[in-house]
Amino acid sequence: MNERPLTKTLLTKPCCEDDAPGNVNAGDPRVALVGNPNVGKSTLFNMLTGARQRIGNWPGKTVSVAQGTWRSPHGDITLIDLPGTYSLLPGSPDEALTRDLLVDRGMDGRPDLVVITVDAANLARNLYLLAQVMETGVPLVVALTMVDIAKSRGIRIDAGRLAELVGAPVVPVVPRRGEGVDELGRVIGEALAAPRRPAVPVLGADLEAALESVTAEVPGEAAARYPARWLSIALLAGEPVPGVPEETTAAARALGTALNTDDDLDDPELLIAEQRYAWVHEVIADVVTRNSAGHATWSDRVDRVLTSRWVGPPIFLGVMWAVFVLTTTVAEPLMTGLQGLFDGPVATGAGRLLDAMGAGDAIRGLVMNGLVSGVGQVLSFVPLMAIMFVLLSVLEDSGYLARAAFVVDRLMRLIGLPGRAFLPLIVGFGCNVPALAGTRILSDRRHRLLTGLLIPFVTCSARLTVYVLVATAFFGSAAGTVVFAMYVLSIALVIGMGLVLRGTLFRGMAEEPLVLDLPPYRLPAVRVIGAQTWLKLQAFLKTASGIIVATVTLVWLFSSIPFGGQGSFGRTPIEHSVFGAASHAVAPAFAPAGFGDWHASAALITGFVAKEAVVSTMAQTYSMGEPADGNEPGGLGAALRATIEQTSNGHPIPAVLAFLVFLLAYTPCMTTVAAQRAEIGGRLTLFGIGMQLTLAWLLAVAVFQIGSLFL
Amino acid sequence: MGPGEFARGALMRLSRVTGDRRHRRRLAELGFVPGAVLSVLNRGMHGGLVLALGDGRVAVDALTATTLVVEPAGE
Repeated sequence: MNERPLTKTLLTKPCCEDDAPGNVNAGDPRVALVGNPNVGKSTLFNMLTGARQRIGNWPGKTVSVAQGTWRSPHGDITLIDLPGTYSLLPGSPDEALTRDLLVDRGMDGRPDLVVITVDAANLARNLYLLAQVMETGVPLVVALTMVDIAKSRGIRIDAGRLAELVGAPVVPVVPRRGEGVDELGRVIGEALAAPRRPAVPVLGADLEAALESVTAEVPGEAAARYPARWLSIALLAGEPVPGVPEETTAAARALGTALNTDDDLDDPELLIAEQRYAWVHEVIADVVTRNSAGHATWSDRVDRVLTSRWVGPPIFLGVMWAVFVLTTTVAEPLMTGLQGLFDGPVATGAGRLLDAMGAGDAIRGLVMNGLVSGVGQVLSFVPLMAIMFVLLSVLEDSGYLARAAFVVDRLMRLIGLPGRAFLPLIVGFGCNVPALAGTRILSDRRHRLLTGLLIPFVTCSARLTVYVLVATAFFGSAAGTVVFAMYVLSIALVIGMGLVLRGTLFRGMAEEPLVLDLPPYRLPAVRVIGAQTWLKLQAFLKTASGIIVATVTLVWLFSSIPFGGQGSFGRTPIEHSVFGAASHAVAPAFAPAGFGDWHASAALITGFVAKEAVVSTMAQTYSMGEPADGNEPGGLGAALRATIEQTSNGHPIPAVLAFLVFLLAYTPCMTTVAAQRAEIGGRLTLFGIGMQLTLAWLLAVAVFQIGSLFL
Repeated sequence: MGPGEFARGALMRLSRVTGDRRHRRRLAELGFVPGAVLSVLNRGMHGGLVLALGDGRVAVDALTATTLVVEPAGE
């Protein structure tokens, strides 16, 4: 009878979402937080909403957005924390949200108010975005953040004068210390009660004249749907806008092109950007006083070390090593402890409860082997995911991640990915599940998809336990070399498949030149990291638990149902269960790889659920105990050797290498599948599974067929 | 001239950005518009540069650095 859970581990899934932003508390005023990346926007959001927040998917997009309820003195307000952006002309799906909310949804779909965070220590770039938001005419309030950093650099900003020029209130805040937050709340309340349009940045005489002509030509329907100033600028820049007749667009574009007298400025969009910056610098000249100029900041001095040619790369490797250690060795005892709690006290308690209720074998099996075991697996991954989410936040919020991306950029370009993709791939060596969550640090969707497809080829620590057992049984003292070779092969697979996918499915993926804003180094705010981690964990539990409990239950069910008339439910030997029959049926497919035996295929089937289950399944199918130490495979090793000797026609070495290669390359586990589905969508996940199985089989067959010529 | 040819800390003025429309637009949004004053803060591996652009710090790869046409700017 099979009482032992077939799977012993697993995973997660990180994100998200069911509640679309804006669908909650529909009666409350909606306020959107807009701003450049890394300017304290999310800190402000967390400060205002506390725990009353959730992550939701943006309608029609794959990007998730945090929203929350702010219990302001003026009543409840729904706050939407939009991803950081530099511009309303979107360069990534994250950035597109701001434009979507402020412009594309039409005047009725806009938020009641925009709070735009403006970094006082880097005013020019932040005022550029402010200029664009002002052009949409949406009522706004400026939260002037980083005033403490600006002050330490001798930069003083006249907030009152800035408010006059912008035509909207300006409130200096230091969100992490809560300074200015009450005042901001008061000002937002007033702005909601009496909304007013901000001023309009003036873009120079020539552009203004052209804009006036364009505005006169726009048909009434389109003019009613979009903010007038924004629409004229978009048309002048040559941007097609839905609902605007083609001839109007063409005429505006011609007008824009005629503005350029300089050959280098053949694009009106650039002229507009230039004029916006001219406005920005006029504003700065009016509101900023500097006590010191041009001194290198301490952040610059740190950068001289962390981004330098010689010291940067070793420090980067050290940080990656620390992330790897924290997501493996530190998480491991926590995971084991939680799993032990479920296998021990929780299972015992549930068993007693079931006895007291007089539950039958079927109910008992379902609860113990399905529910308790599945939930235990999901929860055992919580510490690992929490550590990963915290590390991601710390790296990102401290400013180091941007430097790391710069240091390793060239290397990752080899497979067409930006430097940031290094982090999720490295984490994958510990566990693929948090690695998939880590793909969120990539701003380009196609980069996220490609990285998400490559991560399963990174050999995780769960696969290591199987390598060690099998390699020790067959190679004795040379086992270490074989295991090392599996790691080398894993890296080769990531690079090789990266090149293949880039040349096929991801052909034409723009090789993004590296242009990376480096925020000043900062101590991450504990409160923000805590809130973000909690949000992501909740989302993970919500999405991952169902698929994992269902899979664990199915495996238990199939190994309990007798097949072919032997035994009764829950009392049949595994070989004669539906699971055993399926393993027998699949086994011939592995004959060309030299391991066409039901013991091997049964282990690989449960390995699809969790690699940790491979060894325990082998033990079950051979009716032996699981070896306590993989380095001493004992009787299980001998039984495995005998099987492989037989199936490989006397070529056990290539056959077992083929088995290991298959184990490396095929689908890591159900939790990875769940995480992949969350990150890259169901269709690409299915494609990924197909790709992994095909590649694993082809490689295994090649290894055995070629290897058996020599060994 | 490209910014890579300047000594660390030397001030330069941006004349123009070359490359395709999207690239130029993206750089313009970050403040790389004609007349902007920059300096090299640090040199990374393979010709990458960390540039100071006003109060901002921007890392660019070697390829992007070659699309920035600059001239010396006096103190």
